[in-house]
This record gives sequence, structure tokens and C-alpha cells, in this order.
Amino acid sequence: MAGRVIVITSGKGGVGKTTTSANIGTALAKAGYKVVLIDTDLGLRNLDLLLGLENRIVYTIVDVIEERCKLKQALVKDKKNPNLSLLAAAQTRDKSAVNADQLKEICETLKEENDFVLIDCPAGIEQGFQNAVAGASEAIVVTTPEMSAIRDADRIIGLLEAKEEIKSYKLLLNRVRPSLIKSNDMMSVDDVVEILSCPLIGIIPEDTGIITSTNKGEPIVNDENALAGKAYRNVAQRILGEEVPFLDLDEPKGIMAKIKNVFAKLKAKV
Amino acid sequence: MGLFSDIYNTVAKFFRPQEGQGDASKSVATNRLKLVLMQDRTNLTPKILEQMRGELIDLLSRYVELDKELLELNFEHEGDQVALMLSIPVIRAKDEEEIEAALRAEAEKIEAKLENKGNNSEEDAPEVTEEASEEVEEEHSTNEVADGGENSGMSTPEDMNTNKTQEEQEEVKEECQG
Repeated sequence: MAGRVIVITSGKGGVGKTTTSANIGTALAKAGYKVVLIDTDLGLRNLDLLLGLENRIVYTIVDVIEERCKLKQALVKDKKNPNLSLLAAAQTRDKSAVNADQLKEICETLKEENDFVLIDCPAGIEQGFQNAVAGASEAIVVTTPEMSAIRDADRIIGLLEAKEEIKSYKLLLNRVRPSLIKSNDMMSVDDVVEILSCPLIGIIPEDTGIITSTNKGEPIVNDENALAGKAYRNVAQRILGEEVPFLDLDEPKGIMAKIKNVFAKLKAKV
Repeated sequence: MGLFSDIYNTVAKFFRPQEGQGDASKSVATNRLKLVLMQDRTNLTPKILEQMRGELIDLLSRYVELDKELLELNFEHEGDQVALMLSIPVIRAKDEEEIEAALRAEAEKIEAKLENKGNNSEEDAPEVTEEASEEVEEEHSTNEVADGGENSGMSTPEDMNTNKTQEEQEEVKEECQG
């Protein structure tokens, strides 16, 4: 079998690459697919924390490359889901410990025995990005509806376009706040898609549940009730080729919303 | 009316505490972003854009009377392609005589510049290359935009036109404000 290798990238830091990697990986594994997550953020590893695997890591990707262990030995199995495993980044080394060819080789090997190889890319457009992208044939560009994140995403899209190996790239819009969009204080999904002219694979609402799930080391896709969890499960389904409509993020109408509406109508009359 | 909206605003504050300086910050962001991305993607700096704008105004002014204030130069994207969109409010077309006069003035300016340059460089470069002459023209036109066309060789008709243009521009502005 030859699995798909997808890099999750963004340019800007802090927009949710690692959260996205952890959640999509977990969702695909839950759907019955064999998934390996690779953390390529050498020196700043975090994917292990989001998956709650930080205490189980013995070997890292650098140990594999420097042949201190076999690739299989370095793969850490998820606590709950045996379909999911993690190849952790080295925390004590920097980006120069790995090069693009080595990562490519690891991806080639891993995709033989897995349905999906998901690469969590470091922020930036330097060597770390080049390494992470090297073995991938698809990309998910994570951004938020903020100017700086969109600008960086645009740079990344430009760089991905120039790479022959990347056959397709899609946009994942993270931390969307419907109330701010409603009050015209945040760019809407349509605005961002139009500006970046990139096909969309997911819209993830801002959800405080992400913070608590990170605290627990438990991806939010495992929480059946969380809206962000549902949005990530939908992304996984879209990756699998299913057509899933985007979530309607309009907040449930409470009493306050109704009162606001009345005043908005009054204002319109004035 | 005024009283009512005062009351509305006071009450509304309780419901929307963060709303302050207008609710269109999104469109500000969108516009700023579009501009900066256009510059990122095309490597055009604001300085070059401004120069391009000035030269376009200059060129087109030979043939039509423009509303320089309202001229818009934008980039639009459709997929991979970038298009330069120029929106020019035309006040009126110039007649043939005016156009010829403008062209003649332009040609005279270039000649004068070339002569000057030839004298200054003590004939070590009698044949000025095309590139060089274009540079001269650019310099000159930038000055002209800044001076409001005072230096142009055909001061009489141009001045009259400028006066007219200003009046008409004011009218346009008033219309816009109204």
C-alpha cells in the first residue's frame, strides 16, 4: 500500500498547525485508517503534548536519522488508538540536524505501511519548512482570519505552488469567531478564501474546549459534543473524499441575541 | 430623532461593550491586506506604484482632462493572473489642437533637455541613448506633476484648462460628499 503524505503548514506560528495535525490524525485513525504523525519542529516539539504522549518518547526522528534506532522503534503508539503513532521531534537539537532528503526517505518508508503520513511543519519558511514539505505530495495550509496569518499563508501558498511534488494544497481556516464576523470586526470565510484564492478544506470555530483538551493531552475530536471537534472530524472526512457541508457557525440564539436583534431593527428605522 | 438615537446608543453599549470606533474594522483589514499582498506578490513597492501613477496621469493628460484626485490604480486577482485596473474619471476629451500642442510641448521639452545634457557633458556623448532620454522625460514629468504644470511650454491654454479643471473638480467632490 502507498499512503498519502500530507504536510500541515502555515508560515505564521501559533495559528494551530500542531492542534490541527493532532486532531486530523486522531480523526483519521478513529475512522479506521493507519496514521503516522511526524513532528518536524526540531527543538520546539509540542505534538507529543497535544496527544498526551510526552512521557512515552524514547527515540526521536534525529535518532532514526543518525541510526541510533530503527524507524519502527521510534514510533510511539497512541494511548487509545493503535492505528495512530507519533514520530517525535528531537527537543535538544535544531533544524540543521535533519535535511530534506532524509525526511523524504522517512516518508517514503512510512507510507508503505500506513494510509496517512501527516507532517507537522514548523513555523517559518526556512530550512524547517523545506524539510517538512520535501516528502509530502499534499498540503494543508492553516490560517486564521487575521491579516498577519493570511499574509504568511499567501507566502506559503506561493512557495507550495512552486514545488512540483505538491500536487494539491487546501486551506484550513482556524479560530473563526462568528460573533466578530457578524459585527464586521473579523474577515469572513468568504473574504479569506477570495483573498487567498485557495480551495477550503475546513472551518474551525474558536473553541475554549481546545485549551482544556490541550491541558489534558486529549485531542478535541474525541469530544463528541465540541463544535471544534466536529469541525475537525469533518475535515478528516473531506480528506477521505467525502462531501461534507461546512458547519453553520451562527451561534444559538439566546435571549440576549434576541434583545440585540430588536435594537438592531429599531436602529434601522431611525 | 437625535434623542432617540442617543438613547439607543446608550442602551446598545450595555449589549455591545467592545464596539467602539465603528464596526467596519473588517473592511479596513481586507483593504490593507489586499494592498500588501499585491505588493508582496508583484514586488511593486508603494514608491514605484506612485511613480507609475504619476506617469500614467501625465501621459493620459495629453489627450484627456482627468480628475487626478479620483484616479484609482488597483490590482485585481483572478486565479493566478494579476490585472492592473486603472479607473480614470474623465472630465472632458481634449480637441485636436490641444492634443497637438501638448505633444509639441512634450517634444520641445525633451529636445531642450537633450540639448542641455549635450552641452553639460561637453560632447563626450553626442548621441544620447533612448534609455537616457526616457529617464530625462521621467524626471521632467514628475516635476511637472509636482509644480502643477507651471513649467510647460504652452502656459496660456494649459493654465486656462487648469482653472477650469479645478472648478470642475470641486463640483465633483461636492457631488461625492452629497
